[in-house]
Amino acid sequence: MHMIKNLQNFLLDQDYYIDIFNNYIHVYCYQELVTLTDKLIELKLNEFGLVIEGSNLSVSNMDNKEILIKGVVNDVRFVR
Amino acid sequence: MKHYVRGRIKTNSRTNLLLKLNRINVDIRNIKYEKDYIYFDILSSDIKKIKKYLISYKFEVIDELGIYKLKKELRVNMLFIVSVVFACVVFLILSNIIVKVNIIHQNKDLRELINEDLKEYGVTPMSFKKSYDAYEEIISKIKNKHKDRIEWLEIDVDGMVVNIRVEERILNEEKEEKGYCHVVANTSGIITHILTAKGVALVGVNDFVKKGDILISGEVKLNEEVKNDVCASGRVYAEVWYNVKTSLPLNYTLKEKTGKMRYNIMVKNDMGEYVILKSRVKDKEVKNKYLVKLFGYQVYLQKEYEVIQSNKRYTEEEALNKAISLVHEKLAVKETQTPKIIKEKVLQKSVNNDTLDIEMFVAVEEQIGVVEPYTKEMDSDTSDRTDNDNNNSVS
Repeated sequence: MHMIKNLQNFLLDQDYYIDIFNNYIHVYCYQELVTLTDKLIELKLNEFGLVIEGSNLSVSNMDNKEILIKGVVNDVRFVR
Repeated sequence: MKHYVRGRIKTNSRTNLLLKLNRINVDIRNIKYEKDYIYFDILSSDIKKIKKYLISYKFEVIDELGIYKLKKELRVNMLFIVSVVFACVVFLILSNIIVKVNIIHQNKDLRELINEDLKEYGVTPMSFKKSYDAYEEIISKIKNKHKDRIEWLEIDVDGMVVNIRVEERILNEEKEEKGYCHVVANTSGIITHILTAKGVALVGVNDFVKKGDILISGEVKLNEEVKNDVCASGRVYAEVWYNVKTSLPLNYTLKEKTGKMRYNIMVKNDMGEYVILKSRVKDKEVKNKYLVKLFGYQVYLQKEYEVIQSNKRYTEEEALNKAISLVHEKLAVKETQTPKIIKEKVLQKSVNNDTLDIEMFVAVEEQIGVVEPYTKEMDSDTSDRTDNDNNNSVS
């Protein structure tokens, strides 16, 4: 069991992680979806806010911990 | 296992809806936007939350996902699946059932004998087929049981029919037991042709012979002494004369095809013939084309040609020609081969009550020799007597 836990801890950062792909952004462990438009998405994380700007932005998958955003991403900023 | 469903919500403001779903902690996946609808996958347990908190939105379940979809499909198509399974089972059973046991041999006694044995070993109509080894075992058992009657036996399974091919054992008999025979004339005539296979020809071409005369003798003689007796064989052709009378009605019914043709299906078995569809032509001539054999029934495609019947009358010349051809047919029935007509003449013709009566003289060439056995004892006595006479004369 410890092995699995250790592996899980190694692979999954329990605080957060953000993956940026060509047309996708995957955010793990966000707290709140603040703004959602096709040009701007604002997410609130534990210690900062995440601002994503682009065009044709849309949510592809969403649950209470993680979100997958699809679209043309032009800018990603942290807001503290 | 998590139960996901595919659903959709109609909305003008997608962002608001997504924010609301996010706030009530509803997990959604595979989100797709189409016109005024948002399609997504959602846990079935979250549907209650949507209905409770998002009253102004109408949520519709489109489809089940995962194993539940399979369950749903099975439930919806239960009748079809059961039918297919049932059909497969029926097909499997039918393809392993014997509908007909066909014993192929001319001898009725042998057929019945084998049929009894097959019943004993369980090869009967409406029973299950057996394996190749089982059939081999049955073959060897039957052959051992009837060593003196069966030369060869084969069981051939053709679909639902079991064909038993059998060869009867014929014990070779001594040729001597067959006896001795002459070829004698079965009718009077003038010999035209002789083919001697065995024996001594006693007549020649252009000889006149009467019924019962010996044509080819079984006695092989040398210097008037019988040296050997055989069963004479050969073919003797002679010119034979017949006086044939025949009658022909002058009125007859002529059937003519109208050109109208209809298809039908005909099935045939040992009990008779049955037409599947109702016949749509009143008077018809049919032609059958074999299609397939199914469950012991032979299925034919039947072409029904519509015909019109009309009453006709022969002219005197037509009637005479027809009557002459009838005479030829009569002679052909009498002969195994088509007779060779040498000459013919109408002796008398008369019309009585719309019937033409004719009497004809016909000379034909036909085979007149028939095998007639004789006993050697009588002849050998005679030959002995002759020998004695000869001996006496010598002494």
